Amino acid sequence: MSMLTMFATFVKIGLFSFGGGYAILAMIQQEVVTRHGWLTASEFTDVVAISQMTPGPISINAATFIGYQQAGIWGSLVCTFGVILPSLLLMLVITLTYLKLRKLPWFKNIFQKLRWVTLGLIGAAVILIGKGSFDGLFSVLVFLASLAVYWRFKVNPIHLMLGAAVVGMIFG
Amino acid sequence: MRNSLLSIFFTFLKIGAFTIGGAYAMIPLIKREVVDKRHWVTEDDFLDGLAAAQSCPGPIAVNISIYLGLHIRKGWGMLVALLGTMLPSIITIILVAELFTRYADLPLVSKAFHGLKPALVALIVVPLIEMTKNAKLNLSNFWVPLAAMVLVGLLGVSPIWLILATIVFCVGQSLWLKGRLS
Repeated sequence: MSMLTMFATFVKIGLFSFGGGYAILAMIQQEVVTRHGWLTASEFTDVVAISQMTPGPISINAATFIGYQQAGIWGSLVCTFGVILPSLLLMLVITLTYLKLRKLPWFKNIFQKLRWVTLGLIGAAVILIGKGSFDGLFSVLVFLASLAVYWRFKVNPIHLMLGAAVVGMIFG
Repeated sequence: MRNSLLSIFFTFLKIGAFTIGGAYAMIPLIKREVVDKRHWVTEDDFLDGLAAAQSCPGPIAVNISIYLGLHIRKGWGMLVALLGTMLPSIITIILVAELFTRYADLPLVSKAFHGLKPALVALIVVPLIEMTKNAKLNLSNFWVPLAAMVLVGLLGVSPIWLILATIVFCVGQSLWLKGRLS
């Protein structure tokens, strides 16, 4: 595993991370599971689940986790730096120019349309995470119960995840 | 000094440590710290930064830390703010990764994940439904998210191509409209 490949992969992920955490899950999955095989599909889902219960954005958590597993502390730092590098450079430029750019109609148009694509990308994440999560009646029941509780009562996601973990330990 | 590098670092460390569960949960916390409590930036500047952070690729938390750090204390402010925001998540994940490689095969741990995974799907489905409701989709555009979902989720097309195609399409559309107007 070359450090450079990991760095380049996470720079790419950082550069195309539009639309927030869930919208970029499909891209991270394609890169780290399908293309490079750094994690299995099931391990990837584990990492996303962990990332819901720990501080920080999913892309950074994934970069740190994979970097550490592949190449220790240095690996985690290199991957994490890679994933934020595009943000760092673009935010510098944007902070200096964006406030004018934002008022231009063609610029607004791009973000309006990207929002529709983002919606589809979150749908894709549901398919990909779902594939690694459903393996029988138990998982379907947990899904439906979580959906009902989260939808109706707007519980804190961390509490929901901890509850699901306990249910899994007892009945899973 | 009220805006010393050290106080910037600890403020963003706090923001980084308590932002579990997505960027939207932490925006009010950031605003309270940097606008209401410490008066480092005005509310207008904060909202401008938020808009920029949302349109730039990358996590909103990271983006807005870069913007705010720059505003408060230029380059060093930016580095210190960024470090503060990211340190809690880097340390936590390294600890978790270390534990995970050791204990992932324990029956109790794998059983916990057996319950966690379907709950995670629900955690993504709920905001997806809410965002779909708010997206004002109609007959002429509902195929866009649907096509993106099928292409990426079922056919394995890279989201990178969809994002690039969208940008190219929008630029083309704007140029064409401009051509027709002039």
